[in-house]
Amino acid sequence: MIEARDVHKRYQTDHGPGPWVLRGINLSIPAQTSVGLIGRNGAGKTTLLRLIGGVDQPTRGQVRRHSNVSWPMGFGGGLQGTLTGRQNAKFICRIYGQEADMAERLERIQAFAEIGTYFDEPVKIYSSGMKSRLQFALSLAFEFDVYISDEVTSTGDASFKAKAAQAFKDLVGKSSLIMTSHSTGTLKKFCTAGIWLHEGQAHWFDHIDDAVKAYEESISA
Amino acid sequence: MKRSPWRITLSVWHALLLREAVARMFGRRAAVVWLLLEPVAGIAFMLLIFSVLRTRFVGGMDTLLWLSSGLLAFYLFRRTAIQGASAVGANQALYTYRQVKPVDTVLTRCVLEGALMLVIAMLVFSALGLIGVPLQLHDPLQVMASLLGLWLLGVGWGLGVSVTTELLPESAILLNLVMMPLMLISGAIFPLSAIPHPWREWLMYNPVAHGIEGVRAGISPSYHHVPELSLSYLLGFALVLVFLGLVLQRRFRSQLVSL
Repeated sequence: MIEARDVHKRYQTDHGPGPWVLRGINLSIPAQTSVGLIGRNGAGKTTLLRLIGGVDQPTRGQVRRHSNVSWPMGFGGGLQGTLTGRQNAKFICRIYGQEADMAERLERIQAFAEIGTYFDEPVKIYSSGMKSRLQFALSLAFEFDVYISDEVTSTGDASFKAKAAQAFKDLVGKSSLIMTSHSTGTLKKFCTAGIWLHEGQAHWFDHIDDAVKAYEESISA
Repeated sequence: MKRSPWRITLSVWHALLLREAVARMFGRRAAVVWLLLEPVAGIAFMLLIFSVLRTRFVGGMDTLLWLSSGLLAFYLFRRTAIQGASAVGANQALYTYRQVKPVDTVLTRCVLEGALMLVIAMLVFSALGLIGVPLQLHDPLQVMASLLGLWLLGVGWGLGVSVTTELLPESAILLNLVMMPLMLISGAIFPLSAIPHPWREWLMYNPVAHGIEGVRAGISPSYHHVPELSLSYLLGFALVLVFLGLVLQRRFRSQLVSL
């Protein structure tokens, strides 16, 4: 279970404190429930995912993780451009204290990412699709209770999307997913519950379809 | 399986240390060669100037030994400081993993740089021995204490400056201006004991000068070091600086992560 209690967040800008992105989010996400996060651009989806993932701290309020939560998979983050894919993978194995079976994990990552010889090239020369493949493979190589995905499936091609879908399906029953996507189809496919972020508030829906409906009504209105 | 916070930090330091070592030694073409060549070229250049001046001894110490020990000691401080100061910005991508904190990247970089400088110093001194410079080691403990003090000064600088550069980018320019004349006023390439009475006391407020003179006095028993030399001043100053740096890291820890 993940709990957010009265979470406020704003960022420091060059001209002093910026506007409030999140104003008083109260949530409890039950275990084994996959949740889709929906909202317009700038609604704070990535911010909320980063707070849940523990990358950033809320300005006020607190987030409690009672389970083992992955890092947020998403654009660019978590990969060091000057190092190769393999070196990045080794780094993550080490910070998670998984050195004993590192060779086996590296093989799994390499096989899942399907980026061929690029695995031993610096990450900075990767295409964005290759980066998402690697990020995705990296997080799947570790057993988390909750995986956080920030649009990570959207840059891949059709075959990668199919593979990601299968991987997410295999997780059902063991782990859950907290994800954002601009494709409502993807959200409906993977998530049962939904959170609609609107004007700094989070609205919880037990069914993702209702969250999508509320979101669509808010844009058409 | 739940790991203790201390175990997590240790595995993060281990991973960062290996990551930084790869980047530092193999990141650029022939990076290892440049790592060694930079201090050697510095020593060679100063030696050229001193031989034009026809100076064989400085304060009762062989010129080459005096220059090498002073410059290597100074580089230990400067490279640790500069590497540490740029660590927070250079590792932004890694804060995606909540185990990795900005302060970890500064500390591991400083440890790596200190270890590299020790290896480089050993290589340089071996080479000096081969070409017939009279090597001595009068007081190894004093040499170690002085080197530790200089390294800690670098760590403190790195911890503090990495915070101020992230919060106030302009401060980096200002602090680099301070770094430039430091080599001269710390006595790395100029004997401070040659400076007359009222001015020398002022210069000895600079802790780096104590470290450099301490190393030389520990190497050669006949060396006429600056009378104000005090290792407790050096170590005290360094510990206060490290403490201030850690406080800054703690106070601004969430502002340092900007993805």
